[in-house]
Amino acid sequence: MRPVHLLLAIVFVLFVADTALFFHARIQRHQFYANKKILDITTAGLGLTDLCVSTEARYTRHPAVSDKIVPFMDHPGAIEHFPTGSFWAPAFP
Amino acid sequence: MLIELESVTKIYNKGRPNEVKALTGVSLTIEPQTMVCLKGASGSGKSTLLSIVGCVFPPTSGRASIAGKQLSRLPDRFLTIHRRETIGFIFQQFNILPGLTVMDNITLPLLPLGVSPRERRKKARILTEQLSITHRENFLANQISGGELQRVAIARALINNPPIILADEPTAHLDSRLSMEFMSIMNDLRLAGKTIIIASHDTLVTDHPQVHHIVGVKDGRIHVP
Amino acid sequence: MLKTVFEKHLNILDYSLSSLWRRRLKNASVLLVFAGVIFLLASFQMVTQALTQLAKDSLENTPEITIQRMSAGRQEAIPLAYMDELSTIFGIQKVVPRIWGYYFDEANLANYTVMGLDVSAMPFGKKLNLALREGRFPEREGTGESVIGQSVYTAKDLKNRRVISFFRPDLSLKSFKVVGIFSSIVDLLTSDLIVMNIEDARDLFAIAPGFVTDLCVYVANPMEVDTIAKKIADRLSDTRVLTRSQIMKTYQVVFGWRSGFASVCLLTALAAFIILAWDKASGLSPEERREISILKILGWETTDVLAVRFWESFLVAALAFVIGCTFAYIHVAFFDATLFRPVLLGWSVIYPSFQLIPNISVDDLLLIFCFTVIPYLAATVIPAWRCAIVPADSAIR
Repeated sequence: MRPVHLLLAIVFVLFVADTALFFHARIQRHQFYANKKILDITTAGLGLTDLCVSTEARYTRHPAVSDKIVPFMDHPGAIEHFPTGSFWAPAFP
Repeated sequence: MLIELESVTKIYNKGRPNEVKALTGVSLTIEPQTMVCLKGASGSGKSTLLSIVGCVFPPTSGRASIAGKQLSRLPDRFLTIHRRETIGFIFQQFNILPGLTVMDNITLPLLPLGVSPRERRKKARILTEQLSITHRENFLANQISGGELQRVAIARALINNPPIILADEPTAHLDSRLSMEFMSIMNDLRLAGKTIIIASHDTLVTDHPQVHHIVGVKDGRIHVP
Repeated sequence: MLKTVFEKHLNILDYSLSSLWRRRLKNASVLLVFAGVIFLLASFQMVTQALTQLAKDSLENTPEITIQRMSAGRQEAIPLAYMDELSTIFGIQKVVPRIWGYYFDEANLANYTVMGLDVSAMPFGKKLNLALREGRFPEREGTGESVIGQSVYTAKDLKNRRVISFFRPDLSLKSFKVVGIFSSIVDLLTSDLIVMNIEDARDLFAIAPGFVTDLCVYVANPMEVDTIAKKIADRLSDTRVLTRSQIMKTYQVVFGWRSGFASVCLLTALAAFIILAWDKASGLSPEERREISILKILGWETTDVLAVRFWESFLVAALAFVIGCTFAYIHVAFFDATLFRPVLLGWSVIYPSFQLIPNISVDDLLLIFCFTVIPYLAATVIPAWRCAIVPADSAIR
């Protein structure tokens, strides 16, 4: 066997794996769009403005309720304020 | 193949402070199918002379031709093509790549020619049989002895079946028995129709009965002793 | 002829592979580090793209204009009487009052989002039951009913109980009947939500009767949004008028800050790698110089020698690229980007369960390719070229 054949085998394996992942992505996307209709209904029906991530900062959960001073009113005990607790959890007494 | 040099001069690093004049006005004619020895101390310019004949680089001035073909003005690319068709090199250090097998080392010159692996093996096998190193074919180059390395180097020089063999101090790392063996291989090659040029200051080579010509080189000039 | 050329390139590729194998320790470690850097870059890119896409999608259905009242620089409850003033502005389709607040649950140390509104007045309000796992939305008139998100359900440990209690500001308890639970499909949007009708929210937060926190304004013609917003700001001078596009901008700033921060960290890593690669891969060792000289003297052309070097570098870089990207996809799609979640989402008590859909575009891949593979190729091939153009004998004597 020539070294080239080994290379071809590796490339082939990677190709098969990546093709499988590509189709996985396609299926995922398909499912996502099937659910998207419901997501749209939810945001419109409740007037939501944001994803439910960083719930400790009101300005990310709902940017419409943001003031310049808002960061200081977030989670009681949070030292760090912007962006929400990326690095430290609040100090609990 | 007739080799002709006419007032060849080679200057390294021309125009710079470290300029070295290696050859000055060398004129030399080497008849086909002869064994010629370039004799001289190290630094005398015999390696440079060998490199010009071997198409490694063109002379700074003067004319060099092999079988009537002018080398002096050829661009690097054509020198390379000419070199691989006509010249086989054997070096003092053998210059075998240590990580490769004997077989791979011998067939190195065939790779850029587009010779298939099967064909390469076939060609190399003929030479390893001639030089009786067939049993070492799959050994790594750093696992075999000095004498065997020398044979690998010879096989590699011969793989393209070049008409001219150039050897630079080939016996410097060999004992006298192996040196004699080397000379007899060279003689066989000459009898097979090749032109052999050996640069050496080893008396075992220079005094060898089969050497037709001895050309003395001293301070970059041809020197008649 | 053509066959010979093909065979020649196969031979050169063979030689490059065996040459890679001869220096396998060095090459494997370069491959590993390189693949690691590409993995980090690619998965970061995929997560950011996936999250921003999700956020953008959800913002598309946000109310066009939100009105809040300001007092002493702070947001305050807005009187419902303002709605009469709005009704005189031409072009406004609908105004929905709403109470949007936060409830800090001291037992679980989590922040919940409380929403009091009449869902039937909202667009798609009739279809909203589709977003529920079970139950229905609170009646407009009834009191003490609520719909809760998954995180609230688990944090409060409800199981089969359907009653939930919260403290009013004066620490008296207010109980709700849980009439619905949001489905896990919409968890990313509703995990921390407690939806109730507006009277209950007013009671819970002790907001004076006739007041809400904000007014959602829907406009008939989307082109008119800015004009109408300006008109509202003129008529109701103590309010802040937020349009959808402003909210989107705020959002982008927040995410931009985060992804920017992480990008800087990653770029530093990338720069470090390129410097390392330049140092390690570009400097030719004496053995490598000798090898190039030997090949040249044996009749290899400069281009052949360069082809070997190119293939070596290209194979290492391209394999690292493919492996890095493949693992990045696996990391994001199957492991929910465990490594980057903390940086991008921040610290939080409530983490909604959601699956990221990695967004892979040709642009991104090309960008990563240009930032990684090409510098590496340059760092390795150029020194080899500089070595290969000098006469062949220089390094073997």
